[in-house]
Amino acid sequence: MAGLWGNIDYAAFVVLFCIGLYIIIAKQNLIKKLLGLNIMETAVFAFIVTSGMVDGGTAPIVGAGATGPFASPLPHALILTGIVVAVSITALALSLIIEIYRQCGTIEADELKGAE
Amino acid sequence: MRQALVAITVAIAAVPMLLAVAGLPRPGDAQAPVHTHVAARYVAEGARETGAENLVTGVLLNYRALDTFGEVMIIFTALAAVMAVLSSAAPRRPEDDAPGIASAIPISPVVAFIIRLTAPFIAVFGAFVILKGHVSPGGGFQGGVILGALLMLLSLVLGRGLERPLLPVPLARWLQAAGPLAFAAVGMLGLALTGALLGYPAGPDQQLLRELMVIVLELGIGIGGAAIILGLFLEMRGD
Repeated sequence: MAGLWGNIDYAAFVVLFCIGLYIIIAKQNLIKKLLGLNIMETAVFAFIVTSGMVDGGTAPIVGAGATGPFASPLPHALILTGIVVAVSITALALSLIIEIYRQCGTIEADELKGAE
Repeated sequence: MRQALVAITVAIAAVPMLLAVAGLPRPGDAQAPVHTHVAARYVAEGARETGAENLVTGVLLNYRALDTFGEVMIIFTALAAVMAVLSSAAPRRPEDDAPGIASAIPISPVVAFIIRLTAPFIAVFGAFVILKGHVSPGGGFQGGVILGALLMLLSLVLGRGLERPLLPVPLARWLQAAGPLAFAAVGMLGLALTGALLGYPAGPDQQLLRELMVIVLELGIGIGGAAIILGLFLEMRGD
């Protein structure tokens, strides 16, 4: 339990992740499911970026006069990639939802089951 | 009932995740593996080896440039997929052809004026973030998103949809591919100079060349990102 209290930041991201997971499972609206997916992605991004910080550290920009300690640049670079991929997923999912609405006239998952 | 069941399931799923994070090193611990593995070398040598004082840009465009190449290909492919999905020849339901919200409510002249007034400043800020991304906070993706948001705003204010896009279609196609094209060009240059795809010349007197390669990549990512965001917006907005 002491470890969990020390890592309370990470625990907050787990809670955020679970909120997103709940939305994906419990909501029927496809847009809301996509919002839940984005919340889960945000939780993962925040989790990994937080792991890169260091006590008393600054941004990893080593110009003239900058003194350490610096936050680890690797998580930032990885998450920048991840954010772009998340945007791509969101765009593609939204376009599929638009097409579903055009074809079926609804974006509620339970109504779509009967629409076939 | 169903929602309570889902909540209980999610709560059960949270338990192993909480146990896992409890065993991780404390965030901010300078001895954690995230700081002692490769990051220590990046901080010590990164500015000299990559030609980018912003180490995030250095990692993104030099040490892990191949990953970023894949990333710009992903967003480019996403645009292609969105275009393929939304322009499919399937007949649209007639009741959906009612005028959309965008054309039903005219944009307030105050909003339109303010957007036109601030547009040049936003454009300069976006270009600054792209071009200074290797020595200060910022970079190609961030500046590209700023420029893309500006193009979206202008499309709304000027009433330019798919029919009459802000950028001419042949030009827009090339700009949307700017990211992959810049990576291919710099990758081939690296291949010619060092024998490795996306390789950077390592000599101490070639700092300027390394910086130039980073700037070309940033420009490609920024311009390509802005064009792709505008393309996504226009496709989803319809006409």
